[in-house]
Amino acid sequence: MQQVSRSINDVAVLELSGRFDSHAAPAVSAWMDSVTGRQPARVVVNLSGVHFIDSAALSALVSGMKRCRTGKGELYLCCLQQPVRIIFELTRLNRAFTIFDEEAIAVAMLTDRTIS
Amino acid sequence: MSYDAYSRWKHAPIEGDPFVSVVIPAYNEEVRIVPTIGAIASHLSSSGFPWELIVADDGSKDSTVELVEGLELVNLRLLRAPANGGKGSAVRRGVLAARGRYILFTDADNSTPIEEIDKLLRKVDTDGYDIAIGSRAATGAEEAHRSPLRRLLSGGLRLFVRSALRVGVSDTQCGFKLFTSAAARRLHSAQTIMGFSFDLEILYLAARLGYRVAEVPVAWIDAPGSKVDPIREVRRFARDLITIKLNDLRGVYAKA
Repeated sequence: MQQVSRSINDVAVLELSGRFDSHAAPAVSAWMDSVTGRQPARVVVNLSGVHFIDSAALSALVSGMKRCRTGKGELYLCCLQQPVRIIFELTRLNRAFTIFDEEAIAVAMLTDRTIS
Repeated sequence: MSYDAYSRWKHAPIEGDPFVSVVIPAYNEEVRIVPTIGAIASHLSSSGFPWELIVADDGSKDSTVELVEGLELVNLRLLRAPANGGKGSAVRRGVLAARGRYILFTDADNSTPIEEIDKLLRKVDTDGYDIAIGSRAATGAEEAHRSPLRRLLSGGLRLFVRSALRVGVSDTQCGFKLFTSAAARRLHSAQTIMGFSFDLEILYLAARLGYRVAEVPVAWIDAPGSKVDPIREVRRFARDLITIKLNDLRGVYAKA
């Protein structure tokens, strides 16, 4: 799996592509650790290139979201491919996360959230 | 890919017999099975043909059964087992319950991505093979995260199988195999080995009965949490190999 990170308006964005599984989850968790050290952490994970996500990867995302929320921050997801969207639905994690179709909207929502 | 197609498959029973039945044997798969079902449902719903999914539980002691039941997918059938009978027994129950023209069995961890079924389908539906098996040994296969020990043992087993059973297949154990309905029923009805190396018996029988078998290179990603112990695997494999030879000498397969 490949991961590319950037910062947009103080929002940390992680873009992933490939198979997001237990082999890839530790690197994502490490990135989460690095960006949630500063609070409130505002994070967007862009899954546009991910075609499969397993339970370990879902667990890494849930942990990251919890860490963000503990520090009054937030983690949003965006750009889910159909298989990943279905996996989120079947695991009912679509109810736990806020998911956007576009990265720009997710980033804007987090930016607005800070202003308000 | 169309989400609407998935939604229809999720809510409306398919009409007539399925083109493909997918069988997943499952033993204590609460951690791995739901994402795999999601990936399969997404890909095959987009294929345009009618298909069904069968989860053949093998007496799981965790929440696998409850999780699968809770998915509320109308074209998914869950086969329960009162006790653990081995992977081969779960696959057998699933295959014999399947209604599809073609029957795939695949592992619960999505170690061979479901997209690879397209290559196998071409072999049976277009090229006229009776069986298409995913192979990690054929030229063009991609293996990821497989330990050197498992690679070494697999290579040794392949040589052993070729020389002892004369099964002309490089990788008998990849958990991704597609059969015509007739071949699947005949072979699994004659199956006597219910443990891990049941594939070996199925392929031995297939060669004995003259079925055409295509070995198709597939991607394979070793998923952590595999229940296969390499050393035990070799011991069981050798024992089952002898059982198969003895079965044949005793005429056990004569009525297959």
